[in-house]
Amino acid sequence: MHIPDGILPAQACIGGYAIATPVTWYCLRQINRQKDPTAQIPKASLLTAAFFVASSIHIPIPPASVHLVFNGVLGAMLGYHAFPAILIGLFFQAIIIGHGGLTTIGVNAVMMGVPALLAYHVFQLRYHVRRGRSDRWTTGIFAFLAGAVGIGVAALIFFALIITTIPSGFNATTEQAAIYGLTLAHIPLMLIEGTFTVMLALFLQRVKPELLES
Amino acid sequence: MRVELDEYAHLDSLIHRWEPRSKLVGLLALIFAFAFVEDVRLLPAVVVVTTVLYIASRLPLSVLLKRLRYPGIFLLGIVVVLPFLSGETVIWQWGWLTVRQEGCWAVLLIACRFLAILITGFVLLGTTPFLTLVKAMRSLGLPVILADMTLLSYRYLYEIAGNLATMRQAMRLRGFRSQSKSERFFIPNIGNLRRFASLTGTLFIRSYEQSERIYKAMRLRGYGNARVNHSAIASTPKSFFSDHLSLIAFSITLLTATAFFMTELLLYFSSP
Repeated sequence: MHIPDGILPAQACIGGYAIATPVTWYCLRQINRQKDPTAQIPKASLLTAAFFVASSIHIPIPPASVHLVFNGVLGAMLGYHAFPAILIGLFFQAIIIGHGGLTTIGVNAVMMGVPALLAYHVFQLRYHVRRGRSDRWTTGIFAFLAGAVGIGVAALIFFALIITTIPSGFNATTEQAAIYGLTLAHIPLMLIEGTFTVMLALFLQRVKPELLES
Repeated sequence: MRVELDEYAHLDSLIHRWEPRSKLVGLLALIFAFAFVEDVRLLPAVVVVTTVLYIASRLPLSVLLKRLRYPGIFLLGIVVVLPFLSGETVIWQWGWLTVRQEGCWAVLLIACRFLAILITGFVLLGTTPFLTLVKAMRSLGLPVILADMTLLSYRYLYEIAGNLATMRQAMRLRGFRSQSKSERFFIPNIGNLRRFASLTGTLFIRSYEQSERIYKAMRLRGYGNARVNHSAIASTPKSFFSDHLSLIAFSITLLTATAFFMTELLLYFSSP
C-alpha cells in the first residue's frame, strides 16, 4: 500500500509534504520534551530497521500470501517515534527496493503515520479501562483495535487519494462507492492484522513487557 | 537483502563529481518539476532530459532495468486498467472491450512521469554514497533526531535481516512449514499465525536488547553530550559551490526545472 512516483498530481505530493512536516515537527517536539531524548533514539532506530525487515515476512493465506503493514504495531510500540520511524522506513523502501517513491514520501508518511499515531493513542487507552481487569485481556483487546485501526484508516486514505486524483471518467457517486467498497474489502486484512497484533502483543507481554510500555 | 546502495557510488562521472548538497537540491527540484507535468506535449522534453542525465551519470543500464522490475508491476496494473475504463472518446472497440483515448493519454503521462522521477532519483542515489547524502541532508536542515535515526537504522538494517534469515532457517530445520495441506482457502492457519507472531516478536526483542547495548556503548563514547554531539556529521568542509562544475550543473538543473514549471503553467492557462 504505497503510492509510487508519477501517479499523483504534484499538488497532492506537495500537500503530503505540507501535512507530514508539521506532524513530524510535533512528534519531534514531543520526543524532545522527554527526560532524555537521546536515550530513545537507538531503540527507535533498531526497531525501525526491525519493522522494515519484518514487513518482508509473508503470512500464507491460501491460495496467496500477504505481508503485514505493521503501522498499528509500530504506533503502539514506539509512540511518537513511530512517525519519524515510518518516514525513515519509507525512505529506505523507496531507495533500496524501489517501493513507493521520493516525491510521495510525504503522502505515504501521512497515510501510514497518522493512523500509527492514532493506534498509539488507542493502545494507551488500555490504562484507562484496566482497573482491576486482567492485563492479558485489556492488552489483547486494545492491541487488536490498534492493529485494525492502523491498517483500516491507512486503506481509507489510500483509496480516497487514488480514486479522487487519478484522471478518470467516473462520477462522484461511483467514486464514493468505489472508496467504500475497496475499504470494506480490506476488512479481512484488518482482522488478520488485528489478530496478528494481539498475538504479538501477548507474546511481548509474556517475554519482554517493557517493550510495550512507552 | 544485498547491500546495493553504494555499489556504483565509486564510479567517475560529471554527476559523481557534483557537490552533494547542490546535487540534492538541484535534482530534487527537477524531480518535482517532472511531477508537475500534466500536459502530454511536455513529455518528449521530459524523456530527453532524463536520458541525458542518465547518460551523464555513466551508470550501467542493466542496473536500471533490474531496479525497474519491482515498481514496473504497479505500472503494468495502471496500463492494463486505465485505457479500458477511463474517458469517453472510444478509439477502438471489439465486442465489450473498448479502448478510450483519455485513458491512453493518462497512461502515457503517468508512465513517463513515473520513469523520469524514478530514473532521476536513481541517478541521485547511485552517484552519491549514502552517508554523504545524509550528511548533505543534515547540513540542509534535517533534524538531528531524524539524521541519527536514519544512520542507525541503515547501520543495523542488514544485520537484523541476517538475524531474521537465521531464525527462519532454524524454524525450518525444526520442521516448520508455512503451508500445510489441511489449510482452507482465504483462512489463515491460527497456529501458523501465532508462530509468525512469535518470530516477529523475537526479532523485535533481539533488536531491542541490541539497541540497549548499543546505547550504553554510544553513551560511553560521549553520545548525547551537547558539546561534542554531531560534530562529525554537521561539518561540511566544502562550500555549496566548491567548484565550477557544481555551479554550472546546479544552474542548468534549476533552469530546466523552472522551464518545465513555467511551460506547464503557460500551457495550463492557455488551454481552453
